[in-house]
Amino acid sequence: MVLQRALKGTKVFWFFFSKKNCLLAFLMSVVRRLLASPGFLAGSAIVLFWVVCAVFGPWLEPQSPYADDLINTLSPPTAAHWFGTDQIGRDIFSRIIAGARPILSVAPAATLLATVCGTALGLLTGYAGGWVDRVLSRLIEVILALPLIVVALLVLVALGPSSLNVTVVIALVFTPIIARTVRSAVIAECKLDYVPAAQLRDEGALHIMFREILPNITPPILVEVTVRLGYAIFTVASLSFLGFGIQPPSPDWGLTIAENYGLIVGGYGWTVGFAAVATASLVVGVNLLAEGLQEVLR
Amino acid sequence: MTSQARHLVGELRAGRLGRRAFLQHAARIGLLTAAPVPAAARGRPGATIRVASNVPAGAIEPLTVSEIGGLAMLCQTGEFLVVAGSDLVLRPSLAVSWQPNADSSVWTFRLRPSVRFHGGQAFDAACVVATMDRLSDPKQGSNALSVLRGVLSPGGTKRIDDLTVRFELDAPNGNFPFYVSSDNYNAIILPADYAGDFETNFNGTGPFRLERYTAKVGANFVRNEAYWGLPALPARTEFSFFGDQQPQVLALEDDQVDVIVQIAVQGAQGLLRDPDVRIIDIPAATHRQMHLRCDDGPLADKRVRQAIALSLDRPGLVHGLFQGRAELGNDSPFAPIYPSTDRSVPQRARDIPRARALMQAAGYPNGFETTLTTERSQEIPLLAVLVQNACAQIGVRVALTIEDIAAYYGTAQPGRSDWLDSPMGITDYGHRGVPNVTLAAPYLSGGAWNAAHFRNATYDRLVASFNAATELPAQRALAGDIERLLLDETPVIIPYFYDYLCATGPTVTGVAVSGISQIFLQDAALS
Amino acid sequence: MRAATLHAIGQRGALSALTLALLSMVVFAGGQVLPGDVGRSILGPLADARAVAVLNHQLGTDAPPLLMYARWVGHLLRGDMGMSYAYRSPVAPFILHALGKSLALAGMTLAIVIPLSIGAGVWAALHHGRWQDRLVSLGGLSLTVVPEFVSGILLVLVFGVWLRVLPTSANTRAGAGMWQEARHLILPALPLVLVLFGYISRIARAGMVDALEADYTRTAMLKGLPRRMVIWRHVLRNALLPTITVIAAQTSYLLGGLVVVETLFRYQGIGSLILTAARGKDYPMLEAGILTVGTAYILSAVLADVLVGLLDPRSQAGAR
Repeated sequence: MVLQRALKGTKVFWFFFSKKNCLLAFLMSVVRRLLASPGFLAGSAIVLFWVVCAVFGPWLEPQSPYADDLINTLSPPTAAHWFGTDQIGRDIFSRIIAGARPILSVAPAATLLATVCGTALGLLTGYAGGWVDRVLSRLIEVILALPLIVVALLVLVALGPSSLNVTVVIALVFTPIIARTVRSAVIAECKLDYVPAAQLRDEGALHIMFREILPNITPPILVEVTVRLGYAIFTVASLSFLGFGIQPPSPDWGLTIAENYGLIVGGYGWTVGFAAVATASLVVGVNLLAEGLQEVLR
Repeated sequence: MTSQARHLVGELRAGRLGRRAFLQHAARIGLLTAAPVPAAARGRPGATIRVASNVPAGAIEPLTVSEIGGLAMLCQTGEFLVVAGSDLVLRPSLAVSWQPNADSSVWTFRLRPSVRFHGGQAFDAACVVATMDRLSDPKQGSNALSVLRGVLSPGGTKRIDDLTVRFELDAPNGNFPFYVSSDNYNAIILPADYAGDFETNFNGTGPFRLERYTAKVGANFVRNEAYWGLPALPARTEFSFFGDQQPQVLALEDDQVDVIVQIAVQGAQGLLRDPDVRIIDIPAATHRQMHLRCDDGPLADKRVRQAIALSLDRPGLVHGLFQGRAELGNDSPFAPIYPSTDRSVPQRARDIPRARALMQAAGYPNGFETTLTTERSQEIPLLAVLVQNACAQIGVRVALTIEDIAAYYGTAQPGRSDWLDSPMGITDYGHRGVPNVTLAAPYLSGGAWNAAHFRNATYDRLVASFNAATELPAQRALAGDIERLLLDETPVIIPYFYDYLCATGPTVTGVAVSGISQIFLQDAALS
Repeated sequence: MRAATLHAIGQRGALSALTLALLSMVVFAGGQVLPGDVGRSILGPLADARAVAVLNHQLGTDAPPLLMYARWVGHLLRGDMGMSYAYRSPVAPFILHALGKSLALAGMTLAIVIPLSIGAGVWAALHHGRWQDRLVSLGGLSLTVVPEFVSGILLVLVFGVWLRVLPTSANTRAGAGMWQEARHLILPALPLVLVLFGYISRIARAGMVDALEADYTRTAMLKGLPRRMVIWRHVLRNALLPTITVIAAQTSYLLGGLVVVETLFRYQGIGSLILTAARGKDYPMLEAGILTVGTAYILSAVLADVLVGLLDPRSQAGAR
């Protein structure tokens, strides 16, 4: 008994060791190729910058991003307020830094949730095949044909806007998209030798799906996740802009634009310009990162 | 001269009443009925006035119109018995004079002779009876029901002869002429045989006739050559509908329009600085009401409600949110513009130490958490953020929920409306020429708009007395009592009353507006 | 056209019809869970409860939801899009007016984006693997992911406020000529152009690269035809096939995804009509608006299939 356990232990140990070795070598080569891609480097630098802002924001902001100052409303950029102030005198520079946090928590959380659900759904439909696949695929196809922003708006109006609801709604909307990618990857994998081999070994379906197939389709999932992250940022920002996303007084960039865009033509461009540049840089950064990853992994 | 009138003149002589307040009050009780526009002040006739207006959100049906785009349409061709000007002075229109009985429960109106509708029908007492019955009948579903409830019922309007009507009220009301004036924007007089087809012909008695109306696009009007009064100056007026303020501002700056019916300070800050734009700025009773639920949680303690009211920097709000184009509010619906307002009641000002002491006394030295729910409209979300910051100073941690307007009001029934169910909320109340309507439903025990869940028998009694009072000193004395009671109880916070703003090009003259987005263009001209 | 193509189109049509039916149900069901009621949203929050009840009865919105839906479907099947609750008149003229405005904006967008992105795609393909190629690919992709309202704001700031070369408002004064109206549409169209540019140029580039490497191109080159002529005669035609499909498919995005741009520029198109109808609980208007966009989606997809069928020399050969 003890011996058996010990044997099993060593087997597991060796299994991991070998796998890890492979993984390590694979990772090294990926990283080497990524570092040679200027697009990826630029993207990572931008994203890193905003991640630093999101994490260390409170130490970087010169003033509180929430404090109002009704004497200094709509001040243009000055030495005291580098990016000017908004309609109730809040410091826009501080709000731009603080605004990295809401979007960089909601969008990744939504993407992660969608990835977990979408991967599970994709594995299930791809591996099970037959009527399960047909029914679920048709359903996914129909859902994908619905205008997503309309669906998201309806759900948010019914549930009420909050960061949590926005996360759930975006996850809901992205799940079928990820499921579709995973499904086609799974179908391709099922034609390879190791899946029938595992089936012959009489391994359980769950084991085959999650332990055999999943590690092999990680690269396409990873690429899909980074691409989806870009779109999640896009969607969070758009929902905030339409007023159904993150709530005041959050310094969220989309919300900032929604609150102030009526001021542009009056000559108060700084109230929205910086938030627009910040949003644009973040989506472009994530996208360059995704593009680099895609080139290397595919 | 009636005893009321004698008293009023005495007040004026004694210096207790300003000239403007005298005019306002004299007109209300029918003492003063002629206020003609001096002909010399009129501009050149024949212009085409182009107007930018909010798009009417629904059918132009006098019975149901409730939003500003629609009610700006009604008063282009339709006329009221009485017009409440921007100075709150009542001027005769289709009625030439009016008179209350001793306890002001019956009002008699003399009508203007030889007036015809654009469709050819004669205007007479039957038209007034039909119109008022339609507005006050619950089965007709008129939007004026909420104003006329408890004031006038179907059958209460009696035809005495062709040119005399008598209103027999449900309860005495000293301000009744306002209820049949332009202040009650649904009350344009329609022909006795009106069949619900206003949108096809805009059949009224006014100085302009409809040329064409296209829903969501615009409307053109031409001068009514057969008008009973001075003919309108403009040969035609052209309304373009806009879904939002910004394109209206751009259209004015680009000389695509001559007039914007109404602008809000938010988003028009650039326009307000523009030397080439004329701003018509009239003080109004338009306000934001922040309710504090008096029957639940920490807010049930009036010391907590007072503390929150004391945390606000009101002059800062007026300056920061309205560039000074607003008046301070003193937590009651008595706006500074009402002649009945008792202005000797001290203005509440920011006092953080006292607010903290009140919190301590109420047993919340470390504050508490609550939610402020409101609607996404104009400056309200910004006000909510400022309230949140102010509350933080006294330890009250406020979470904000900013909703679409429809979501905030819900079905407007307790239990199914965030407006009526939220512990704290901010609601917008439009301008009224007299405070009677805003004193009633939002504060009376069990009132339909009583989001604060305020119940106070003394208050209910005071309001009934105020409604019945016809004489200004009596009204003002009761107003003082009401103001002091609301200040002490603080069921609501009214931080400011903001001005009504209309913008015109530099060459436009003679545009008249009211605090409820009505625009009157018969004296408009281009110089 | 081959029977298979027809079959594929038929299948797509059936699936799309199913989607439309589902969409109408989602919208209707969504309307039931939304707070507030129709009469209240027309009469305003302060209207008397009795007035709201009367209006709801007049409009028929106090009927059970399923009955309301059945009534609506019944009308639709008879070709009647219904009456607007708010405007008490048929919705069709409103839809047509808004659709016309959206189509003008979409037309302006396509007029800018098609030559621009195909040119860029071809240019990238002709410099396959070099910096021009990278620039178009990465640049296009980066522009595609920037939300329209963000790029719209930046474009307004740069071209409308700072340089003052383009009008910032989509509205023109009455009686303005075609050229003026078109000029006012440029700024609203540009954010959409940026979004589509990435997609279309990428597909055009890929099609071009494939065509350049294809046998017929080599044959033509070997025959000694001038390079310019080969590209015009043979390569472009084949390269543009997939591009047309993408353009047709993206037309649906143009119609449906206009909500944000129309909100930003306060443009009274179908997107803002849908949003206004949703806010005002005007369900007949909302349903008609969404189904119009959905139908446009189907039509553009079918159009894409037909175009490919007509242009693809292989399917032509099959038909003969």
